[in-house]
Amino acid sequence: MTPSRLRRLMVNSSIAALVLLLPLVFRTRPSIIGYLNIAMLYAIATQGLNLLMGFGGLVSLGHAAFMAIGGYTAAVLVMTYNVNMFLAIVAGVATAGVFGLVIGFPSLRLSGFYLAVATMALGSSVADVIKRLEITGGDYGLINIPSLRLGGWELASEASRYYVFAGIVVVVFLAVRNFLRSRSGRAVRAVRDSEMTAAAMGVNVAAYKLVTFVFAACIAGLSGALYAFTISYLHPMNFGLVFSIELLSMSIIGGLGTIIGPILGAVFWVMLPIVIGGRMEYLSTVIFGLSIIGSVMFLPKGLSELVTRIQTRLKL
Amino acid sequence: MSVDIFLNLTIRGLTTGAVYALVGMGIVLILQTTNVMNFAQGDSGMFITYLAFFMITTAKVPYSLVLILAILAGAVIGLIVERFMMRSVRSRSHLSLIMLTLGLSLLFQGLAAFLFKTEPRLFPPLVSGDPIKIGPVVLGRQDIVVLLAAIVTFGILYLFLYRTKQGAAARSISQDEYAARVLGIPTPSIYMLVWAIGSAMAGLAALLIVPRFSLEPSFMGLIQVKAFTAIVLGGMGSVFGAAVGGLIIGVVENLVAYQFPAIKDSFMLIVIVIVLLVMPQGLFGKRSQRRF
Repeated sequence: MTPSRLRRLMVNSSIAALVLLLPLVFRTRPSIIGYLNIAMLYAIATQGLNLLMGFGGLVSLGHAAFMAIGGYTAAVLVMTYNVNMFLAIVAGVATAGVFGLVIGFPSLRLSGFYLAVATMALGSSVADVIKRLEITGGDYGLINIPSLRLGGWELASEASRYYVFAGIVVVVFLAVRNFLRSRSGRAVRAVRDSEMTAAAMGVNVAAYKLVTFVFAACIAGLSGALYAFTISYLHPMNFGLVFSIELLSMSIIGGLGTIIGPILGAVFWVMLPIVIGGRMEYLSTVIFGLSIIGSVMFLPKGLSELVTRIQTRLKL
Repeated sequence: MSVDIFLNLTIRGLTTGAVYALVGMGIVLILQTTNVMNFAQGDSGMFITYLAFFMITTAKVPYSLVLILAILAGAVIGLIVERFMMRSVRSRSHLSLIMLTLGLSLLFQGLAAFLFKTEPRLFPPLVSGDPIKIGPVVLGRQDIVVLLAAIVTFGILYLFLYRTKQGAAARSISQDEYAARVLGIPTPSIYMLVWAIGSAMAGLAALLIVPRFSLEPSFMGLIQVKAFTAIVLGGMGSVFGAAVGGLIIGVVENLVAYQFPAIKDSFMLIVIVIVLLVMPQGLFGKRSQRRF
C-alpha cells in the first residue's frame, strides 16, 4: 500500500468513525442530531436535483413539489388505507416518478427555459392542489403521521433515525454515482455538454433527459416520504416555490456536479441559521444569497471545491 | 354570468394582466438579448420598493421624484449585475448565469427581511381617490395608472428595439451573438444597456403595482411566476408576446377565478402544460430553438 493510499484510507475511516460517533457525542443534545437528520433528508432530495442540474444540465424549480407528492402519498396510504409503511414509501417514490414523467414529457423536448418555467408552475401549483384536497388534510396540514418503523422496529429516537438515514444517504449517493459511471450516465453528461454532439453520436437526447428527470423526481419522492414519517406533520405551504429554491441553493452552495456536494450544501443550509441564532434569522438568507453568488463566481464547485483543495493540500 | 359582471371581470383582468406584462417585458428583454432568465427581476424591484417606501413615508420625498429615483436605482442595479457579476462568468457556463440571478434574488429577500422586518406594510398609491365608473365598469385609479404604464413602457421598448441603433444591435445579438460580434457590435456595452433598461423596468413595475398588494419581502414571488407563465404563452423571446401573454393570463385568470375558484392558482400549470403540448412556440414565438 502506497503512503498516499494509506493516508487516504486513514482520513476516510476517521471521517466515517466521526459520522458514526456523532450521536454519542451529542447524546445530551438530541436536537442537534434531529437537525442533522433533516439535513440528510434534504441532502437526498438535493442529490436528485444535483443529478438533474449538475450532471444533466436541466433546471428544476419545482423539486419540492415531488417531495410533497412522495410525502403525501406515503403518509395518506399509511394513515387512511393502513398500508405497510415500506410499501407506502415505495408507492410515494413511484407516484413522484409518474408526476415527473407527466411534467417532463412535454417540457423536456424544448429548450431548458421551458422546463424551468414548467417546474416553477408545478412548484407553486402542487401546494395549492394539496391545500384543496380533503384527503390530505387541506389547509390544516396532515398531522399525527406515525413515525418511521422498519419491520417491527420503531425508530422513535433521533439517534436511531440518524443511522438509518445515514445508510439511505450512502445508498442513494452510491446509486447516483454508479448511474453516472454507467453507459446511460455518460450519455446524460454528453447531453449536458452539447446536445447537438450527443445527438450526432446516436444518443437519444429526449429519452435520456426524461430518464434523468424521472430518476431525480423519484429521489425527491423518497426524501419526501421519509420526511413525512420523521416530522410527523405535513403542510402544503412547506413545499412551495420557496422550498424548491432552497433545495436549488443547497445544491449550488454544496457544488453542482459533485457527488458529495449535496450533503455539504444541506448541512450548511440547515446548520447556519442555528449557528447564527433565531434572532438574526434573516441574516442567514443574506449569507445564503452571498454564498450562491460567491460560489458561482469564485468556487464553481461550491463547498466541495474546498474539500478538493484540502485533499490536494494534504496530498491525499 | 351576466354581461356586466363579464365586462367588469375582463377589464379588471386587463389591469391585473398589465402587472404581469410590466414584469414580464423586463424579464423578456433581458432573456432575449443576453439569454439569461432573470429570477431576480421581481426581488430587485421589491428591494427598491422598500427603499422608496421609506423615502416617501419617512423622508417625505415627493412621489414623482421617488418614481424617477426607483427607475434609476433599477438601472444601476442592472449595470452592477452585468458589469461585475455576469460578465466574469459569462464565458464559463450558461447555468451559472441563472444561478447568479437566483443568488441575487435570495440576497434581496434576505436583506429586505433582515433590514426592514417581514410584517406587511401598506404602500401609498401614486394616485388616490374614488374609483372611476365607465358605464358598468368600476376601476380603481391606480389600476388605470398601471394599465397606462404598461402601454407606455411597451411603446418605449418598441421604439428602443426597432427605432434605435442600439435596439437593432440588441436584436441582432439575440439572433446570433457570434455573428453580431463579427459584425463589430460592441456586445459588452449592449449587454449593459439591456440589463440597465430591463432592471429599471423592475423598479418601475414594483413601485406601481405594490399598492394593490402589501409591501413584504415575498410580494413579488407569485407575480414573477405569473410573468414567467405570460412569457411562455407569448413565446419566450418577444416583448410583444410577453405583453399580450400577460394581458391574456390576467383576463383568463380573473374569469376562471370567478367561475371555478378551486383551480385559481393551479391554473398556470394547466396553461403552461397545454401551451407546451399544443403550440410550444407560444403565440408569437419563432419555431427555432435556442441553446440553453
